[in-house]
Amino acid sequence: MTKVAARRSPARLVIALSVAAALAVFVLYTSIAGAGTPQIQPSDLPHHAGQVLLVGKVVSTSGDAHSHGGMRFVLRDVSHGSPARATVVYHGSVPDPYRIGREVVVTGKLRNDVFVANTDSLTTKCPSKYAPAKSKT
Amino acid sequence: MPALGRAALLLSFGLVLYALVAGSYAAWRRRRRLALSAQNALLASFLTTAIAAGILWAALARRDFSFVYVSQHISHSLPLGYALSAFWGGQEGSLLLWLLILSGYAALAVWLNRGTRELMAWVVPVLAGVAGFFAFMLCFVSSPFDTAPAPADGAGMVPSLQNPYMLAHPPLLYLGYVGLTIPFAFAMGALLSRRTDERWIVATRRWTLTAWTFLGVGQLLGAHWAYVEIGWGGYYAWDPVENAALMPWLAATAFLHSVMIQEKRGMLKVWNMVLVALAFCLSIFGTFLTRSGVVSSIHSFSQSPIGGWFLGFIVVCVVFSVALIYLRLPILRARTKLESLVSREATFLYNNLLLVAFCLTILWGVTYPLLTQALRGETRSVSKPYYDFFLHSFGLPLLLLMGIGPLVAWRRASIRALSRMFLIPFGVAAATGVALVAAGFGSSPPGLLAYTFSAFVLASIVLEFVRGRRATGSVVRLIGRNRRRYGGYLVHAAIVLLAIGIAGSSSYQTVREHALRQGQSMEIAGYTLTYNGLGSKQEANALATRATVDVSRGHSHVATLHPGKNTYPVEKTTSNEVSIYHDPRNLGDVFLIADQIDPNGTLYLKALVKPLVNLIWAAGFLFVFGALVALWPDAVEQRRLAERYASGAVAA
Amino acid sequence: MTLALVLGGVLALAAVAFVARPFLREPAPASDRLDEPGEPERRRLALAEERDHALAALKELEFDHRTGKVSDEDYRSLVGPLRRRAAEALRSLEPRAEGRHERVRSSR
Repeated sequence: MTKVAARRSPARLVIALSVAAALAVFVLYTSIAGAGTPQIQPSDLPHHAGQVLLVGKVVSTSGDAHSHGGMRFVLRDVSHGSPARATVVYHGSVPDPYRIGREVVVTGKLRNDVFVANTDSLTTKCPSKYAPAKSKT
Repeated sequence: MPALGRAALLLSFGLVLYALVAGSYAAWRRRRRLALSAQNALLASFLTTAIAAGILWAALARRDFSFVYVSQHISHSLPLGYALSAFWGGQEGSLLLWLLILSGYAALAVWLNRGTRELMAWVVPVLAGVAGFFAFMLCFVSSPFDTAPAPADGAGMVPSLQNPYMLAHPPLLYLGYVGLTIPFAFAMGALLSRRTDERWIVATRRWTLTAWTFLGVGQLLGAHWAYVEIGWGGYYAWDPVENAALMPWLAATAFLHSVMIQEKRGMLKVWNMVLVALAFCLSIFGTFLTRSGVVSSIHSFSQSPIGGWFLGFIVVCVVFSVALIYLRLPILRARTKLESLVSREATFLYNNLLLVAFCLTILWGVTYPLLTQALRGETRSVSKPYYDFFLHSFGLPLLLLMGIGPLVAWRRASIRALSRMFLIPFGVAAATGVALVAAGFGSSPPGLLAYTFSAFVLASIVLEFVRGRRATGSVVRLIGRNRRRYGGYLVHAAIVLLAIGIAGSSSYQTVREHALRQGQSMEIAGYTLTYNGLGSKQEANALATRATVDVSRGHSHVATLHPGKNTYPVEKTTSNEVSIYHDPRNLGDVFLIADQIDPNGTLYLKALVKPLVNLIWAAGFLFVFGALVALWPDAVEQRRLAERYASGAVAA
Repeated sequence: MTLALVLGGVLALAAVAFVARPFLREPAPASDRLDEPGEPERRRLALAEERDHALAALKELEFDHRTGKVSDEDYRSLVGPLRRRAAEALRSLEPRAEGRHERVRSSR
């Protein structure tokens, strides 16, 4: 076999090209798919028009998520700072830990002052194993 | 007793602090007895930590609610096994578990390597430094031995944790996470002592492989737990806490491969140092993510002060590693260069790049909310579509490489040799692809690619075994003489099974939801589900409500499933109890969720048919088996290594 | 909690004793120096690693050749330099080992 022409560190070339390729893939994705979904609380909701991730604490709840009308619940900011409230209409599965006082996350968009949630997008946070000592609720 | 626990932890802290300070001084000034003394301190810290751990376990077993930790995590009615597992169910206990495993590993590593004093002289302070952080946290920030007037009963355990997996998943994960500290310490020790030989790699090869295996199995167990217990129908949600384990695992996978290149060709020395530090820092970062509440996750909840401490520690580790590697760059010069872009070294390099790229995109996704909040004042997050995209972009080529790598020779491969090796696997893959498209699997391009690439890889692995057996006479002798290589092939086969299982159960799954009255049926993917009854039963600590659903295929009854809910009076919560039928015909599952049960008996049933999902769990067993084969000590090799590193040995 | 106090005290004493052990065993040693490998030892180690790598690479090359991964041409061009590398490393370490290397080779 003839002697292979000596190359100057193809390793570095390979690494540089691969990094460039990976970055290209990444940049392409974020430019097409958009850079993430905003995560907001009820007090910021009026300022956002499109799809958002709404995070809040459940203040009141009524209705059946499996019925035609859906489940209606009201969220407030996680910290007690703002009086803002968001009314959410939701259809789909309701996670077991869901109840008044729980922090929940739901995806959807604001329509006519009511937050219309995407089906099955409701998640609740597991009661923390790592939170500091709390009094029993 | 809490006082003794506190004292034991304080002793642990004192001992590792001594090991850090005295050990560093001894290594710097070359004081033999002081170095030994520091080593002993590290060994002793395992004993004191074990005593502290024993005290906490005893308190859990006794239901001693004067311990705040005990009253917060268990109750009188909780079965003993779960009560003991509450050790790692909370913040303070899991930190103690970390320290226990770390000090245990450190003691073992020190003991096994007590011969190489000059290397260990620096490894001991590094280990002590890491242990010192956790000991500090346990003594002064987050103690499991706080006391308060004992309440009548404890708060009980969250229902989703009352599962046999709680006994295995966290300890296995920790055995993996913490295990990555050992190669890190040895690598930094080698740099600190300015050693240019491979002693640290040889000493830590099994540690890395073991930690990596534990981490992999721990994640699989966690996925299975989520699948059967949380029951949303999936096994991985790209939650930050899940990613926290995946990232170090990916970095460790890259490291396992690139370290082979350093051993065989003397290249990538700097890269290996960077990788081992990355894997370690990611394992600490993972803990930070889980505990700090800094990224919203269904696992974490409130902001915990401990987050700040962890962040500080991570910064220290990163700065320390980067600075040390930079300072020692002159001694990390490569022995040889990459000769050809078509060689096994090159494929290992590509595999490394893909693994690290994937790891970094996950890291980006996880920290994205933090970065956007800091830079734009608005929190944005990414979710499944982002991760799936990169899983496909990087994972599919990785899958293909697993099949290509073993077929390519070291140094350089000629086109003729390659075409001969690739012919059969390529043919198998092409045939599989065509058959799958004809059968309608083209509905999901990534799924189709995954299946086709998997066929390629499996074919190449089988061929390796066949050709190897022809060369050595028997498979047992083949594996016995080439444990690392063929153990590695078995692990690759496991990963392929995993890929097939994931592709089948995600790209080709069917989901249907229906409201059913008693007697009504629904159809899904060739199965008929009939709701036939509803009942309740009082269990140890819960009221169990179950619907009876008969599953039939065609006209034959195949299973009766009981999805439902459990209500826990003490914890005042409900949990979802899914019911699963494992279909041997397609290795898949019929997964039933009782989404809601109305008072009038109407069942809102969500059904999922997930083909091939059981391959994922089966892959776990093959994974462990392959890793064990690769780990198994080779007497000849052990002797050679012992002779190599015996100081001052001349002609044998 | 006097029991806790006593146990804690005992534990602390035991820990201190264990930590001080190297000094207690050798109060006045001949040398307290932590030896690090000198230049000759480092060179020997590097040569030993070189030898082991070369021998392992040879073994792997022959195995890959037998299983067809490496063509006859490639094998012929690669095996020479590898054997020389191995022989050189062996020579530098053990002057009379060349015969042993020949024996290893011919046993295949």
